[in-house]
Amino acid sequence: MSEIQSAIPVEKKKRVIVGFVCERSIPIHDMMGPHKALADDPETKIIILPCSGMVKPTQMELALANGADATFVCGCAMNDCHYRTGNIMIRERLEGERNPKLRKSTDKRKVGMFFFTMKDKRPFLDALAQFKASTEDL
Amino acid sequence: MYKKFLSLTKNLTVSLEKGLNLFTTQENNPLYFHGALPLYTFWFLIFSGIMLWMYYIPTLDRAWTSVNYITSLPVLLKDANGQLLLKNGIPVVAAISPATGIPYGAVVRGIHRWGAAAMMITTILHMLRVYFTDRHRSWRWLPWVSGVLLLIFVLFVGITGYLLVWDARAYSLVVSTQRWLEAVPLIGQGLSAFFIGGDAIRDFTLTRFFFFHIGGATFIFWLIWMHFIRLHEPVVTPSRAVNFLTLGFILVAAGVYPAVNVTNDLIAQYPVLAGDKGFIPSDAPAQIGYLVDVIRYDAWYLFPYYLMEKVGVNWAWIILGSATILLFVAPFYPKDRRDNIAEVVEAKCTGCTFCSLDCPFEAITMQERAPGSKFKLIAVVFAPRCSECGICVGACPFQAIELPNTHSKTIEADVLALLKTGAQ
Ligand code: HEM
Ligand code: SF4
Ligand code: SF4
Repeated sequence: MSEIQSAIPVEKKKRVIVGFVCERSIPIHDMMGPHKALADDPETKIIILPCSGMVKPTQMELALANGADATFVCGCAMNDCHYRTGNIMIRERLEGERNPKLRKSTDKRKVGMFFFTMKDKRPFLDALAQFKASTEDL
Repeated sequence: MYKKFLSLTKNLTVSLEKGLNLFTTQENNPLYFHGALPLYTFWFLIFSGIMLWMYYIPTLDRAWTSVNYITSLPVLLKDANGQLLLKNGIPVVAAISPATGIPYGAVVRGIHRWGAAAMMITTILHMLRVYFTDRHRSWRWLPWVSGVLLLIFVLFVGITGYLLVWDARAYSLVVSTQRWLEAVPLIGQGLSAFFIGGDAIRDFTLTRFFFFHIGGATFIFWLIWMHFIRLHEPVVTPSRAVNFLTLGFILVAAGVYPAVNVTNDLIAQYPVLAGDKGFIPSDAPAQIGYLVDVIRYDAWYLFPYYLMEKVGVNWAWIILGSATILLFVAPFYPKDRRDNIAEVVEAKCTGCTFCSLDCPFEAITMQERAPGSKFKLIAVVFAPRCSECGICVGACPFQAIELPNTHSKTIEADVLALLKTGAQ
């Protein structure tokens, strides 16, 4: 029964994920495909920034309010931000410990954060896939 | 070309750290506490140094004896067959020292000795890491240049520490240093006389070395302050696990391998010491005019002397001098473009101070506005310190500070555009 089910191609709803990625963390420039999306995952659209600490929580809210199914930040590995503290700042902002914070009404489950090095392309893509799966039914 | 080299070294460093992460976890990787580690080991040196200071006597005839007095070491006595000597079934412990000795003084001296090695090694690793990961240039020139001075002073304090023991090696090192200083054109003789405090080695010479050692360590404190002045909340303590690891390394090393002057005299008195490898050896007392045949060099403090022995005084000057100059100029090359420095939009700034609290390089100061203004303060960016990171942009709730080439408005327009095309 399950074999038959998986054999039938299911028309999956096209989703849009907006990611804000620090250019010093994962090798993001090499990972881009057409239309500002990830080559390995065209549903994920990317805004490249100098540092993850530059991301404003309001920008993530803007993405969610305008149709994004989920949004995330990717910064340098913890303890190793190129600008010393950018990843700590955005993590604390998204966790509600530092101003400006995410609005209370924002569904935090749709807001992801990842911290990886330039050598972590695979681990990042795996973590992203997991995050996307966790937001599928929201 | 040079930039390519830097990106290669960064690649290698990150790979190495990633490898280490497999064993230590991301939070406790010692390599991520590269700056905190030398500072942490410095505290060991200060505390053990103060303890040694209480008994050290900086005169020619008492220095060596006073160090030996401190480093009395409790050992388990053995009989002629190498069996532990027992009294009522309990091993016999004796203090090995020509004098009465301070209990566990050798361990305290060991902490000072191993701590000093750890500080130099971690300082060099820290320097290599900031260099290899390209964190030494542009707006970071001040921590780098003060770092080079720190390196020189850590070296200086370490070397003068070896002189204070006033054993045969210390005397040979003093003679080498004098040769090295005398090779300086015009002022060489004066420098050499300044170093020993006159035309001959006297009691005053050791007092002077003692001053160099402690004065130098105090200056390191001041340099560390300089080093931190443009770093917002520098990470000054390693994680707890890394702390315990370092503590364990220094204590275990000092316990297993304490610093004692094991001389032939001492071996004659306590044959159990013969062939015992469990001590850092040190030489017989210094005798003016007697140079040891082979100086025991260590790789972290005495490499300049090793170099001098191998290539001669002049070449040693040339090599060490050029290396120092290269270190000092490293942060200024290659030049960055510097076209995305943060700018404050005066009309929007409320003076909330968020940006200045979050800027990682202390580039933003809050200044008073003219009397009668709506808000009391305004953020002002000091361009040479700005790293173009945009953390202040993320911190500002009022869109009052922007990177000109990465404007928030553009980012927001990009988000909307992506969503429009993405949904199709
Ligand atoms: C006594 C020796 C030293 C101590 C205790 C020390 C300590 C530190 C600490 C705690 C930091 C802050 C790390 C952070 O929070 O991001 C730092 C940063 C830095 N150090 Fe050192 N340091 C020493 C020697 C050196 C040397 C020898 C150099 C290079 C020649 C150097 C270059 C730097 C640079 C460039 C930074 C800035 C890194 C960044 O902005 O990310 N330091 N140091
Ligand atoms: S961009 Fe802002 S936060 Fe970053 S260094 Fe410059 S002033 Fe500081
Ligand atoms: S965070 Fe914005 S409003 Fe607050 S002081 Fe800085 S620039 Fe001004």
